[in-house]
Amino acid sequence: MNAGLFSRTIAVVVALLLAAPTIVIAATSFTSGVIITFPPKGFSMRWYEEIFGDRAWRDAFVTSFTTGILAAVIAMVIGTLLAFMAARGRLVPRSLVATLAMTPMIVPLVVAGIGFYMAYVHTSLYNHITSLALAHAMLGVPFCFLNVLAALTAVDPRVEEAASICGAGKLTVIATVTVPLVLPSAVAGGLFAFVTSWDEVVVATLLATPTLRTLPILFLSQLREGLEPSTSAAATVITLLTIVLLVIAGLLSRRQRGRST
Amino acid sequence: MSGRDSGVAEVTDLAAVGIRRAGRPGIDFWTLLGTPAMLVVLVAFGVPLFMVVYKSATDPGLVNYTDVMGDPVFRKSLFKTIEIAVAATLAALLLGYPYAYVMARSGRWMRSFLLVALMVSFWTSLLIRTFAWQVLLQNTGVINTELKRLGLIDTPLPIIRNEFAALVGMTQMLAPFLILAVYALIRAIPPELEQAAMGMGARRSTMFRTVVLPLSMPGVAAGCVLVFVLALGFYITPQVLGGPSERMVGQSIAEAVHAFVRPGLACAMAVILLLLVGLVLAATARFMRLSDILKMGSMSE
Repeated sequence: MNAGLFSRTIAVVVALLLAAPTIVIAATSFTSGVIITFPPKGFSMRWYEEIFGDRAWRDAFVTSFTTGILAAVIAMVIGTLLAFMAARGRLVPRSLVATLAMTPMIVPLVVAGIGFYMAYVHTSLYNHITSLALAHAMLGVPFCFLNVLAALTAVDPRVEEAASICGAGKLTVIATVTVPLVLPSAVAGGLFAFVTSWDEVVVATLLATPTLRTLPILFLSQLREGLEPSTSAAATVITLLTIVLLVIAGLLSRRQRGRST
Repeated sequence: MSGRDSGVAEVTDLAAVGIRRAGRPGIDFWTLLGTPAMLVVLVAFGVPLFMVVYKSATDPGLVNYTDVMGDPVFRKSLFKTIEIAVAATLAALLLGYPYAYVMARSGRWMRSFLLVALMVSFWTSLLIRTFAWQVLLQNTGVINTELKRLGLIDTPLPIIRNEFAALVGMTQMLAPFLILAVYALIRAIPPELEQAAMGMGARRSTMFRTVVLPLSMPGVAAGCVLVFVLALGFYITPQVLGGPSERMVGQSIAEAVHAFVRPGLACAMAVILLLLVGLVLAATARFMRLSDILKMGSMSE
């Protein structure tokens, strides 16, 4: 049963609206002119050369990248441990663990951001990349938790039992059977956490200082000053990295699903 | 299954449990490993959140709440937030539902096209999309320049710094969540049901109203709640694209923090926003499992 012509028309128009912003930004970044025009005038890489040569963009890139990696690793470890605790621990009720792991997803970013700001401002962590990484890690925990929990529920317990029966000790079973089985999902969750940090602007605004600026912060300040093709170039670079990482995460999750069924 | 078989199954099950038990150390291994992780989340996320609530009531006192609610600017932003969130949710539903339906019920090419468009927008950050809408909508932007070049208009259309622009941006950012929520449900409806209804003489509209719509309702509800709750927390997009009257609660909060004359005031605003979100979710939890909604939210990436 195919959809009718009317709904198909709406769908195509909406699809164009969904994709238009990204396409316009990518196209305008290659303009050889000095203002943003669409379709772009000529073709040049000058705006890419400009942002890669600009110290502010480079510093922000390094800060964002480091924050993202730190946040992803922390979120991955915490999310994975919580998922195991929810799926297999017997002491703490599963719903309690799940609530704790999922709360960062429900709380509006600006509310969490004020909390982070007040908690860190008087500590030595403030104005240091760790504060931002820790805050961003919390936002990434739900992704890692959900991914690993889904993988764990798909793991056949008999596989682990088989290993035990064959004489493997508890730790050997975990290290050689369980962990490899959920690792792709944990890594996929980690990539989601990285992208969450990489794109995040609300919490970052509240924790930012003149010496601690991520790419989205720099981007936002440019956006308020005026629009330039260099902003388009930066946006394209940021989006490109996001897409590459999320495609990898998607492939990892798919591989996991393929294996468990 | 015969009694004998079930008996065997029971024994193997028991054996399996026995092995699992025997394989575990005396204390619950996973609880032991998970507890430090729980503590980290409690300290790194729970404590900051608690500080917001605590400060809102003690710094200098509950007077924060009466002051915040007495402030006409804040009250206005609170109502505006709800109004914009409702409008964005409705717009996302009206545009997103047909999208999800067509994506579920069309050939390979159409489906791939719609899926790619959806993913391209999902994968571009909200901030960058805000920037893109500014490029498209501003007076010297793509749309106005093109219309002028074609001679259709003399003066730029007022399509930025107003509620229209804020809504266009927010709808474009929120619709994908709704599309995915509805798509998952429509995919699960066997197309034969629709064929049967139409084979028995129902018109397309009747079939839609009596078969597809009721069966996809859980997806609509989950998607709407998710979109509405996300919209409540938006503020950078409406701030950049909207005019001064499209002021959202989030913006009031962020400004109050940056001014930091009275931290308690910002905290009280934050608690009010949190309560609003909590109320919506609590009301929803009576009808559906919140975990289903949150899973949709995690598909955002």
